[in-house]
Amino acid sequence: MDLNFSKEDQDFQSEVREFLDKEYPKHIKAKMDNGDDLTRDEVVEWHKVVAKKGWMGHSWPVEYGGTGWDATKRYIYLRELALEGCPMFIPFGLQMVAPVIYTFGSQEQKDKFLPRILNFDDWWCQGYSEPGSGSDLASLKTKAVRDGDHYVINGQKTWTTLGQHADWIFVLVRTSDTGKKQEGITFILVDMKTPGVEVKPIITIDGDHEVNEVWFDNVRVPAENVVGEEGQGWTYAKFLLFHERSSIAGAPQMRRAINSLTKRAEKIFHDEKPLAEDPLFISKVAQFHLDLDALEMTELRGLAAEREGKGPGPESSLLKIKGTELQQRLTTLALEATGHEALPYGGPYGFENQEVMAPKAAQSVASKYLNFRKVTIYGGTNEIQKNIIAKAVLGL
Amino acid sequence: MNLNYTEEQELLRDSISKFCSSDYDFETRMKAVNSESGQDKELWKMFAELGWLAVPFAEEFGGFGGDEVDLSVVFEEFGKAIVVEPYLANIVLGGGVLRRADFAESASYIEKLVSGEVQISLANYESQKGYVLGNIDTELNGEGLLNGSKSTVLNAPNADHFIVFTKKGDGYSFALVDKNAEGLTLSGYKTYDGFTSGDLVFSNCKPVAVFEENNALEVLEEVIREAIVCICSEAIGAMEKSYFLTVEYTKQREQFGSSLSKFQVLQHRMVDMFMETEYAKSFLLKVLATDDKDEKAKLTYGLKNQVARAGKLIGEEAVQLHGGMGVTQEMSIGHYLKRLVSIANVFGSADFYLKKYSES
Repeated sequence: MDLNFSKEDQDFQSEVREFLDKEYPKHIKAKMDNGDDLTRDEVVEWHKVVAKKGWMGHSWPVEYGGTGWDATKRYIYLRELALEGCPMFIPFGLQMVAPVIYTFGSQEQKDKFLPRILNFDDWWCQGYSEPGSGSDLASLKTKAVRDGDHYVINGQKTWTTLGQHADWIFVLVRTSDTGKKQEGITFILVDMKTPGVEVKPIITIDGDHEVNEVWFDNVRVPAENVVGEEGQGWTYAKFLLFHERSSIAGAPQMRRAINSLTKRAEKIFHDEKPLAEDPLFISKVAQFHLDLDALEMTELRGLAAEREGKGPGPESSLLKIKGTELQQRLTTLALEATGHEALPYGGPYGFENQEVMAPKAAQSVASKYLNFRKVTIYGGTNEIQKNIIAKAVLGL
Repeated sequence: MNLNYTEEQELLRDSISKFCSSDYDFETRMKAVNSESGQDKELWKMFAELGWLAVPFAEEFGGFGGDEVDLSVVFEEFGKAIVVEPYLANIVLGGGVLRRADFAESASYIEKLVSGEVQISLANYESQKGYVLGNIDTELNGEGLLNGSKSTVLNAPNADHFIVFTKKGDGYSFALVDKNAEGLTLSGYKTYDGFTSGDLVFSNCKPVAVFEENNALEVLEEVIREAIVCICSEAIGAMEKSYFLTVEYTKQREQFGSSLSKFQVLQHRMVDMFMETEYAKSFLLKVLATDDKDEKAKLTYGLKNQVARAGKLIGEEAVQLHGGMGVTQEMSIGHYLKRLVSIANVFGSADFYLKKYSES
């Protein structure tokens, strides 16, 4: 066993660092380091920088324009990006719909969509959950009825992240009501500009507009946009969910964040001594670091298994549960450390343009804490993840 | 031993409870939160008319002569409806200093506070100075002018007067400052839990009065301890409502062909929420029923820790069990979480009070 990177991998690591040094746009870096939100254009700009380098398809096979990297290289690459504080890739095209398209899609679909995803010409979003179908996703009701060369879609999706920016949406629709509820689900790709598609914002408790309802009112979609076979959508959906779950552990981002909090704690005073010297705080930070070590190593084990050709399976639930729990512990720790300085709130009913005395770093802490309540809910709640492990791993 | 509330206290609880359920629904609350002042001035008048603003003041000042238990009752009921009207700021903090201070004009300010004519905020915490109450920079100089700053002064944009805790010579004092005083700059803002707050900067600002020159720190400590009992009572009300709303929600939310409330794993989580609420209540009663001053202080620090932990757990679990709906602005449950974590962290964190408890 050996945890050290080979000479080749070390060279690759230097190459990634050099790329970031030269190409990571300074104005975007400044905003990210400051904890500011990026505009849509800036998010696109960052993806295009990566696309130009040819590194967008870091998890894709070479034949579709992917880098063909092994698991170690992919790990090094994503870790370096995270440690540098780069924006997260918008996963809906790149990591979610693309694997479904190149695994189950037609040649025409591959030719039409994959290059545009790789170049971030299209912004994708996800149409899975419905108001009555959350954890029980297979009970979804949005209906698609065949009408000649088209399907006509009616219904409502919800929790569509960044749907307000999207060009395309992949949607799970019901094409049949007979048999088991998992049967009769179809995976279809819809152009957001199609008449009858309407996006309505959902404001979350942090005051942000990140998620949306997406309504379909007699939306006519060409039948060629169905991926794979009609009625087989549930199989593709599950395949996609495993991909989604393994990509949301976020260990390197957390390492960076805990280090920056620890640094900030040198200047935070609750009592006479700086918080960074408080034994209770120190113990929480240490506990966090070692739990993070275990998470990272579990992630590496997953990558090693993948390198041996075992695709992500139910084990990705392990990462989702622990990763999101740690994310929440981190935002909680930051909120506790920041105390009353976190109170001023720039949300929709904050007083605009008022100077606030609390340090800049304190001002996004509460929003972040509140925003991160979602992570144990989205991508399949952590309760559902435990059901999956119980059933698929423990055989219960 | 007697762990019962008095008949008067039960009546007070009933009247506030009735008000909250009939006149202070979630929509009314959010209207106040989203208004510029962050409060409903009509309701404040109504609070005055109902006598609620008079609860803790002595009868000679037009008050009810109530005690900490009465205040606790008020706050527990407020917590169930996460009331944002500025009772804590005016009656417990500002009024709390006036009630205790050796200050000739206290009576006239209290009368106006009780009648709802004026609002008075206490300004003691400063940015990056932490929660040790005497650890401040604001100073009253030899010419009687105030210099320094205060942060997160509750209800500051609505206050007519500020009671500013300040250094003076080798000790501390309270300085009474009018909102329009020269040399005072105010920045108001909303806080994440839906309240209104602000920062104050004093630059050679002349107070209208200076009082309690020997005993200011002791008075402040007592006021903050009482405020802790109040917000912990509020948190307990909010916890009770949170688990209640969660139980109701899981009963009506159907997934996998059955209501969520039928899943044993979720039942146990709700049982935990209920249990933590009950233990927090027990701790509160212990504080309320303790007479010895030092013992009561120690227990109050313990209460802050207990409630911070329980409140966070219950608030977070309530949101989790509501699923996606729990994190939306339009549902009330997330607002309970915001208030609960705010209460957990104002006046100092759970860790800060754990240390104070063990050192007392």
